[in-house]
This record gives sequence, C-alpha cells and structure tokens, in this order.
Amino acid sequence: MFPVLQSNLPYLLQGAVYTVILSVIVVSCGTVLGVGVGVLAAVGGNILRSLITAYIFIFRGVPVLVVMFLGFYSFPAVGLRLDAYTAVAVSMIVYVGAFVAEATRGAIAAVAAGQTEAAKSLGMRKGMIMREIVLPQAMRLLIAPVLNIALMAIKQTSYASIVGAWELSFAAREVVERTLAAFQIFLGVMIIYFVICYPLSLAARALEKRLAFDH
Amino acid sequence: MNQAAALPPQSDEIVAIRGLRKSYGKLEVLKGIDISVRRGEVVVVLGPSGSGKSTMLRCVNFLETFEHGTITVDGRPVGYKTVNGTRKQVSETENASLREHVGMVFQSYNLFPHRTVLQNVMMGPVKVKGIATATARDIAMRLLGKVGMDHKADAYPGRLSGGQQQRVAIARALAMEPSVMLFDEVTSALDPELVGEVLKVMRELAEEGMTMIVVTHEMGFARGVADRVVFMDGGVVVEEGPPGDIMAAPKTDRFRGFLSRHLSEEG
Repeated sequence: MFPVLQSNLPYLLQGAVYTVILSVIVVSCGTVLGVGVGVLAAVGGNILRSLITAYIFIFRGVPVLVVMFLGFYSFPAVGLRLDAYTAVAVSMIVYVGAFVAEATRGAIAAVAAGQTEAAKSLGMRKGMIMREIVLPQAMRLLIAPVLNIALMAIKQTSYASIVGAWELSFAAREVVERTLAAFQIFLGVMIIYFVICYPLSLAARALEKRLAFDH
Repeated sequence: MNQAAALPPQSDEIVAIRGLRKSYGKLEVLKGIDISVRRGEVVVVLGPSGSGKSTMLRCVNFLETFEHGTITVDGRPVGYKTVNGTRKQVSETENASLREHVGMVFQSYNLFPHRTVLQNVMMGPVKVKGIATATARDIAMRLLGKVGMDHKADAYPGRLSGGQQQRVAIARALAMEPSVMLFDEVTSALDPELVGEVLKVMRELAEEGMTMIVVTHEMGFARGVADRVVFMDGGVVVEEGPPGDIMAAPKTDRFRGFLSRHLSEEG
C-alpha cells in the first residue's frame, strides 16, 4: 500500500525533524517571551502597558506569513544577514509571543479579585501577591490557551518553506513534484503533523491535572 | 462584656473612623460616618443591603479609597495622611504594613486554592513577618486546632465545606496576630446549617477579648455577643448603643422596621 509514500518516508521524516526543531524553538521562546510581556503588562506602569498593548494588537492583526516576509526581507535591509531559519524563527517567536502575552494578561485578570484582597489583608506587598498568589493560579488558566497557540504555531512553521527554509512541507512539495503522488504524500504529511501535535495535547492535559487545586 | 461601655470614651481606642465619606461616581454611599472601637470591644454593624456597612468596613483596611474623613488603626492613619495641610495617599508599603495588624474575613472566604489549609494559615507569618517555617507551622496548627480544623491541615480548600473554609480563613487572619478583626458578612454565603459553626468560633474569639468589627445579618449574634450595635442605613449611622438597649427599644422607625423584618424571618 502507498509504495511512493513508503519509499519517500525517510526523506519526509528528515523534513519532520526540521519542523520539530523549529517548532520547539518557536513555541518555547515565544511562550517565555509572551508570559514575560503579559506579566509586565499586569504590573507595569501606563506607558509600558500601552506599548505592550500596541505590540499585541499589531501582531494579532497581521498574518504570520506577512510577519515572516517582513522579517526575512527587512533584517538584511538593516545590515543583518540571517539565514531563512533564523529569520523565520525570530519572526514567529515575536508573533507567538503576542498571542501568549494576551492570553497571559487574560489569565491574570481571570484570577478572582478576592484573592488579591485576601493577600493584601495579610499585609502582602504587590510583587509578592503577584508571585505567590496570582501567577500560580494564572499559570493553570494559561495552559489551555497556550496549547492552542502552540498547535497553531507548529502548523504555521509550514509557511517557512515559502521563504526557503526546508522542512516537512517543503520536502513534501519536492516529492510531489517529482512523483506526482500528491494524495499519498500529503496523507503521510498529515499523519506526521498529527503525530507531532498529539503528544503536546496529552502533555498539556497532564500538566493541567498536575496543577489542579483539589488533589 | 458590657463593662467596656463604662470606660471613659476614647480610652484605648483601636479604630477611629471620623467623618468618613465615599462616593462611587455621583452616588455617595458613605455620608459622614463616625465610629470608634475600643480595645477588646465587639462592634456589630447592622443595616439593610446597600446601607454602606461593607464599604465602611473595607475602608478600614483600605481595600476601598475614600474622599473625606480619616481612619486610624492603633493611632496610625489608614490610606491618607495630612502633610502641610494637604491630604496625601500613603505609600503602598505603609498600607501593607498597616494591614498586617488588621485581620479581615470575607463573605466568599477567599482562601488560596493552590495552597493547603496549613499553607494558607502559614502564608502570612512566613511571607510577611518572616517567621521561621517550623515556628509558623506551630502557630498555624494551634490556630487550626482552635477553629477545629487541624484534622484538615493538609487538605486543599476546594475539598472543604463553606463553613470549614470560613473557619480556616479566620485562622489565617488570626495568624498575623492582628489588633482588630474585621468580619464582612462572613456567614452570608453559607448554607444555614453551617452558619452555627462559624458563629461559634467568632463568639469564642470575642470571649477571649479580641477587638472585632462584625458586619452581619445575624441578629442573634448581635444580641448575644456585641458590646455595641451600630445600625447603618443610607450611608449614615442611624442608631448605636448596647444591644440590650437599642435592639429592645429602637428609637427610630428605620431601625424598628429593620428589626421587625429580620426578627420575623428568624421566627
């Protein structure tokens, strides 16, 4: 069954390795950036908050492909020569960061106001309340939205092929052009993407359970 | 307990509220409140919903800002101080250090759901006072024993009934060794059969001489435990006095009406 897919599977898997590496970098760095920025928005002053709001709204309102093109073509313009992978990674980290930042802000706002009041009543200072009371509860609320963003980002790494970064989708197109077996190859690619994404969903669910309050 | 009333006024004053006014936009909810609470006194504040009694209580802890008047706790100004004749908000740090001496218990318990019962009670002593963990654990276990919750020390709040959570919340506030305890309708969210266990803890606290301001709808508690009852309506104090006097013979129609509505409910 699917002889063309079988013979080209090693090549596709090689592409999948690049997809996974790119995804891990984009998702982990983007999450760290986004959570950091989201927390800053919650504790920072008005100017900082406006800047962060602008960052979030700009990147949320623009397609990731456009951000990638912009990254790929604008870095050389300022004298920074980056290879396609780096340009894609940097662009996507900033893009993912905006979504995670907004999710973080929402999660912090979703922690009941009574929690902050109770902490204040004990005489806790602002920073301590954020660290000890609000963030631990917000992090749990953040798992589901960040999982969604991560899954979206993994699939969006396929756009990297458009600026010439070779990965799974790029490899698939090469094979299809050579063999014309579009159905077999893309069926295989579909399964590979699913196999990459599914464990992440499982991990997120396990993490959510571990961070549940009523053990 | 009513002996406290025989003391000269202002002596040993812990909480002093003078001319307190607060508005939400155009709506003035507190229209000049004066309340003074002496050490060891239990003041119960009664009043219909919207009378401003909870807002008044939250001002004492500066969980609410206010526009006019002064509040002091142990002689220290709450929220604002007057510098060269102008009223200035005190720093967040000063408010925090003041709150260390004011215990507060909320209607919705507000226990920290990501911490165990024991950790909830230890949080204040360890994080705010910097007390060693072992010492704080002893303090916490003693207080949990006092409110009858030591057997649930390692449980998470989500596994407890409302009455149990509220008793833990009381222990958590006591762990800071406050000079006054504020109770904000602490039994209003509870199932009727759980109200008694919380009131019992509060009654014991009162008997030990804790200074308390209690906003409640529990008429029995007011009559049995209060040294003084304050009746608020429409953002002002309408009547105040020992419960035996004013609850038996209210001077105003407003308080009389309020009492008859609530006493008929209690049956």
